[in-house]
Amino acid sequence: MAAKIRVARPTKIELARLKRRLRLAMRIQKIIKDRLSILVMEFLQTVRESAEVKERLQKEYDDAYKALSLALGYHGYAPVEQTLMISEMPFSLHAATRNVAGVRLPTFQMEENREAPQAVHPAENSSLLEYTSDMARKCLSTTVELAELQSALELLGDEINKVKRINNALEYVVIPGLDVTIKYLSMKFEERDREEVARLKYVKLLIEKREAYAY
Amino acid sequence: MPIEQEKDDVIARYLGSELSSVNAQLPKKRKTLSQLLHEEHPRVSCLDGSEHFFRIDELRFLASILEDHERDDLLLPMIIEVHSGRSDMMVRSRRSDEEQGVEAKVFAEVLDMPVSVEKTGVRIYRSQLGAMRRALKTTTQYVFTL
Repeated sequence: MAAKIRVARPTKIELARLKRRLRLAMRIQKIIKDRLSILVMEFLQTVRESAEVKERLQKEYDDAYKALSLALGYHGYAPVEQTLMISEMPFSLHAATRNVAGVRLPTFQMEENREAPQAVHPAENSSLLEYTSDMARKCLSTTVELAELQSALELLGDEINKVKRINNALEYVVIPGLDVTIKYLSMKFEERDREEVARLKYVKLLIEKREAYAY
Repeated sequence: MPIEQEKDDVIARYLGSELSSVNAQLPKKRKTLSQLLHEEHPRVSCLDGSEHFFRIDELRFLASILEDHERDDLLLPMIIEVHSGRSDMMVRSRRSDEEQGVEAKVFAEVLDMPVSVEKTGVRIYRSQLGAMRRALKTTTQYVFTL
């Protein structure tokens, strides 16, 4: 795409202003490229981590369902349901933000309340139920971890798109446009200088001719 | 022509604000590890008004690496300086010339290899960055410089 020449006033002040703007645009492009590379690195790392956590979650859910079906088979549906109805999981979820190269990403921190009564008390219930409860707690904690990674992925992806657009605009529109305008103005000033020299020579010639005729 | 002029001004303004916003997420004031360990929800305020929270697990991990007196020397978040056009990055550290900084000790432990320590800080390479960020997600932050 050919860059457009944008010039308000063909003056030397304008040329200096454009050169300053070109320097600024190039500096910003350098920083934006760095930011883009860091964001892409973070994104890829989050993808990798997310895949690992998904795999782990799948395995944990498998184990949890196996444990639950074992407990159901051993105790029967009604007693297990009764135990689960009266039990609660003592934990709190703290949601906050962290900053990664200018992107605000959510962080979730699951905190278990150790003072609160346990979901399934080991003394009152069988080891099977206790094991099932432990597995469910693990699943919950991994689900929270996965939620954090997934939302980070979305936000990082959006930011990468935005930064890419800015980088492309600078690389293909702003910088070439400024370059072309600076070249156009420089050529115009050079041409004006050449015209000035030619005119001066012509005037000098005229004066010499006039002086020659005068003698 | 006036429309073109306006468009140009908008671009210039936008470019200027982009440069200032790139590092707006930096903390106003950093805190030491021991200070953060005593907070219920450890966090620092950033220049853009937002807050940056630290994971308690990460802080505990750092505390397990360091001695008691070193916890007062480690300022968090650790700032990773990204220089444009260079493959290495710098983490500034407060240290005397004789001893290596606390940051160097942390990175050496995390990367499980010795790191190159210089007068102004610790030099890390892009290949090491992934492993480091994975272990220290909230306790490190980037700053972009030219």
